[in-house]
Amino acid sequence: MSRDVSQGRSRVRRLLPVVATVTALTALFLFGLLRGSPDRDIPSNFLGRQVPNFDLPVYERYMAEFGPRLTLDEVRGRPMVINFWASWCGPCYEEAPHLQRAFDRYGDEVLFIGIQTQDRDARAAGRAFIERFDLTFPNVFDGDSRTSIAYGLFGVPETFFVHADGTLQFKYAGPVTETILSEQIGALRR
Amino acid sequence: MTLRRARWRSALALLGLVCALAVGSAAAQERELDPRVFEIGRELRCPTCVSESVGESSAAIAREMRVMIQEQLDQGASRAEVLAFFQERYGDWILQNPPMRGMNLLVWLLPIAAVLVAVVVIARLLRRWRVAAETPVDVDPSDLDRVRAELRSGFGDGADR
Repeated sequence: MSRDVSQGRSRVRRLLPVVATVTALTALFLFGLLRGSPDRDIPSNFLGRQVPNFDLPVYERYMAEFGPRLTLDEVRGRPMVINFWASWCGPCYEEAPHLQRAFDRYGDEVLFIGIQTQDRDARAAGRAFIERFDLTFPNVFDGDSRTSIAYGLFGVPETFFVHADGTLQFKYAGPVTETILSEQIGALRR
Repeated sequence: MTLRRARWRSALALLGLVCALAVGSAAAQERELDPRVFEIGRELRCPTCVSESVGESSAAIAREMRVMIQEQLDQGASRAEVLAFFQERYGDWILQNPPMRGMNLLVWLLPIAAVLVAVVVIARLLRRWRVAAETPVDVDPSDLDRVRAELRSGFGDGADR
């Protein structure tokens, strides 16, 4: 009886390194699989920090209110929703109506800014995008994509929710929905 | 007919000229960059690509990042300063060789740990096999006699075949 027990223990001891190695490799494999795409899973490096300034040309329909260029440092002081989009980006078409509805609801308290980026030489397409969704919040053109690099963008669309003090509360990658917008804007207003 | 052909020829020639100018201008733009730009670019991951570095990618964002690297080098920035500039915006993700801290430590330490475990396991197995080979087998004398007898009786048969 005791011989059986000791034989069992020695077998377990022998198998232990094999089990440990297989478990570690499986964990590593699953980690790699579940990591997903960087734009979805990696939080912004600006969380809790001041978002970078930008100075970009404004689309014509907003010039009366904002002038020819919009400089972030000049409009800081209230919560902001900064949305990066491109005219070639399918999910951007999906989220645009949600952004406009959120602006209609919260626009008095929260500043919305749309930034067309990673879309070189596509101002006409940008204008068409704005008209198609009748976007009434200011939209600007990041022709050389430098603002997207300054914000550490992985792709479009991405939406940044910024506190009144200019620090980043949350970044959402992918088409933003009204639920996400309401939740995050609610947190910004608190 | 001749006029139509001439028009086609002119259109094709114009198209060829435009293509050549476009390719030439893109190539010239790339040629103007310092080789160090590509060296540093190869240390950065392209944000919108899959498994490509800024140094290798033809994506628009990678091209713009290469121009930004060139501008920083022109202003006297060092390689470390350029890498830090992009790391500040994208985090450690942007670096092809992530620094040895946090979860990144796993990437560096796991292969070393796996090799160490393999060496220990192989060394223990070799020692166990050697000890097993050197240790005399404890056999009952009566069993031994029986085996010897069997071998003696059967050996002749086998040799005759």
